[in-house]
Amino acid sequence: MLRNFLRAFALLSCSSVIFGLCMGSIVLSNLLTRPATAAQPAASRIVYGLTLLPSGFDPHINASAELGIPLRSVYDTLVYRDPTTQDFVAGLAERWEISPDGLVYTFYLRRGVRFHDGEPFNALAVAANLERITAPETRSQKAAFLLGSFERYIVLDEYTIQLVLKSPFAPLLDSLSQVYLGIASPKALQEYGNDLYQLHQVGTGPYQMVEFIPGDYILLRRNPIYRWGPPFYRTDNPAPVEEIEFRFFTDPATRAPALESGAVDIIGELPPLDALAVARRDDIVLVPQPIPGMPLQFFFNTAKAPTDRLEVRRAVITATNRVAIIDSVFQQLSPVAYGPLTAVTPFYEPQIKQYYPHNREVARQTLTELGYRDNDSDGVLDLNGAPLSLILIVPTWGYAPQVAQRLQSQWRDQGIQAELRQVPNLAGLLAAVQSGDYHLVAFNDFGADPSLLNNFYLSEARNNFMRVSNANLDQWLRQAVQTDDTAQRQNFYTGIQGLIMDQALILPIRDYVNLNAHNKRVSGLAFDAYGWFPLLANLSFEGTP
Amino acid sequence: MLPFILRRALGALFTLWLAATLAFLALRLAPIDAIALQLTLSGATESQIAARRAALGLDLPLGAQYVSMLSGLLRGDLGVSLINGRPVGALIAEQLDSTLILAIGALGVGAVLGVALGVGAALGGVALRQLCEALIALTLATPIYWLGTLAIYLFAVGLGVLPSVSRGNSLQALILPCGVLGVSLSGSIGQVAAAALREAKSAAFVQVARAKGLPARLIVWRHMLRAHSGALISLIGLQAGFLIGGAVVTEALFTRRGVGQLLLNAVNGRDYPVVQGVVLLSALAYSLLSSLTDILAAWRDPRLRAS
Repeated sequence: MLRNFLRAFALLSCSSVIFGLCMGSIVLSNLLTRPATAAQPAASRIVYGLTLLPSGFDPHINASAELGIPLRSVYDTLVYRDPTTQDFVAGLAERWEISPDGLVYTFYLRRGVRFHDGEPFNALAVAANLERITAPETRSQKAAFLLGSFERYIVLDEYTIQLVLKSPFAPLLDSLSQVYLGIASPKALQEYGNDLYQLHQVGTGPYQMVEFIPGDYILLRRNPIYRWGPPFYRTDNPAPVEEIEFRFFTDPATRAPALESGAVDIIGELPPLDALAVARRDDIVLVPQPIPGMPLQFFFNTAKAPTDRLEVRRAVITATNRVAIIDSVFQQLSPVAYGPLTAVTPFYEPQIKQYYPHNREVARQTLTELGYRDNDSDGVLDLNGAPLSLILIVPTWGYAPQVAQRLQSQWRDQGIQAELRQVPNLAGLLAAVQSGDYHLVAFNDFGADPSLLNNFYLSEARNNFMRVSNANLDQWLRQAVQTDDTAQRQNFYTGIQGLIMDQALILPIRDYVNLNAHNKRVSGLAFDAYGWFPLLANLSFEGTP
Repeated sequence: MLPFILRRALGALFTLWLAATLAFLALRLAPIDAIALQLTLSGATESQIAARRAALGLDLPLGAQYVSMLSGLLRGDLGVSLINGRPVGALIAEQLDSTLILAIGALGVGAVLGVALGVGAALGGVALRQLCEALIALTLATPIYWLGTLAIYLFAVGLGVLPSVSRGNSLQALILPCGVLGVSLSGSIGQVAAAALREAKSAAFVQVARAKGLPARLIVWRHMLRAHSGALISLIGLQAGFLIGGAVVTEALFTRRGVGQLLLNAVNGRDYPVVQGVVLLSALAYSLLSSLTDILAAWRDPRLRAS
């Protein structure tokens, strides 16, 4: 009895010692690694909720749009795009010139600008950034490609730099206005190297990175000497926010509760039903923000029967009641999409709205004329014994599953069968597309320059999910990125949008709208020209610290 | 005893090798790799993508990649992330404490609650038994994300007593995530505990104890639970696998940093070295725990050493 007791006691004490050691070392390591700066919060500190957790946060290396939400305000860019006019305005470059052949861009840089680490900003700093972005060992996932046909730079003097291109590349200014080409302190880049710089980022922007604990949070603090912002940054902000902490709310269901419980002050990407619910509260303001780029859409596979037939594609679009989908899935918080670009994208063509209004009779008639009949009375139309059955690749994000279910039920009423194949992530989607076994696939991308269409609609494009090869389309898409004449570009993009819809290459569903909301501790939430990135410098603190 | 321990150590090594090999193969058999994924929206050409693959050694034959991975592992080098270029060891190390605390806390909650449910379901009166059985079925059937969302609405939004964001390792930050993960763990522990106790009820030594006139409480705690403590300890140790899966969801729900979130991102981004690193870590934790519980059990019961 006593032996048994002693044994049990020994076992228990051993395990509690192990447990205690584990806990102790963890607590100790926390105490040792927790920097002293986090101890005293500033007078006005708010929490901003991010919705994705990117694996990499270096704007020159990584491609996630999420990283721009905090970092847009850590960096300045050579030029900015005005969110209201969409025109390019001065940034770190006071002015610029483009040579008549479109091959040389000369930037005259602003004087008196300092990085957060005190280093001066000048042409050599721009050069160091271009070197880093284009170096193969940086393995840039986005920034290097944004530079298009960039060949080399020439430093003319301390405040003048030229970018020389191999061929004209109209989207260059748009690229240079993006956070991925934000100008970082050469000293910090040198000091930390490509792997660690993301934890210690240094720019010239209105906020500086104070602390970044991967997976946990990012803390930004206001840059008190900032006075070189673009014209749309407020200079008379009476109560700018001193500190902003960014945290990750990857599960959509957790976002509204976080806002309602006060765990965050600002958050984006609310599910539509939650957005309506929080907007009914007196203490919360809903800020829907339209995003330029592509709408939520389904690409038709034109290489697989029956969507290889233009008339079938047209009938499918006509059979679709998009308004009903917007009402039920998006609670009327998104506009209906009509073409390959959303209505807030530069060079959007409003005439596109005339294509394919919803009409069950017309859709049915088109299919009947093609020879489709319900011969076996199973409710599904057939042609030569084959049922009119479509395979849809449906990503689990972006409300595609909910939309696909509505499509399925709408089409069922009209004799079109839909088989939904869900894919959990981008890798799954690309693999499904690679197999070629699909009729429609939901996918989109964002950006303020319509040249993003080239990644999808050029016949040799990697993401030519439609397997389309149209000589006119190829030619116009190429020419549209080679001229910087706005009227000419508008002509090309009007033609491109019309051609894409005339050929019924996509089934557009809704223009993307980011449903942001904030509580009354802040005011003045507004976004840049790309829609995703908040102008943190314009936020005012309304609460009690 | 020493040969037994050696045998267990060899078994653990084999498990580790198997885990590393399976993780290596499973990821590389998938049709889209990290580079294609990263560059698909960049406008990069096929030749640019191929050049990047070559620079990372991803164009080498599978055999060569496998050998280089194994030799790296033997040197303790887990490689670097394909997405952010940081060493995998550092990426895991900076997230490990958060997940460890969550797992230990959840295991504690789950073990206490599970044993209590098991005792109630096996030995309680009719009402208590039915209640405990229903609770076990409920916790087994409720997914963590649902339970977690309910808990957030109740405790953070409704009552406002606990934070919906689990930041750091304070008690307040840990109650909800550990509670939610622990509750969903308690179902399977309760099930096994109840089954073991039901079996023990009719065992000869319990009947002897009852015939001696010992009080019921003493029979349960001193005799029945102790006789089956070995099985329970093993079961609780084997929950490590479930804990890692549960941590992925729990960490996302409570926006808590940790290995779970790291793994989820790495899988979505096809970041082979990071996935391999986390899989190896889980295999290591699993082997260590099961070896430890086996050795403990063998130390208490010499009959087990032969098997």
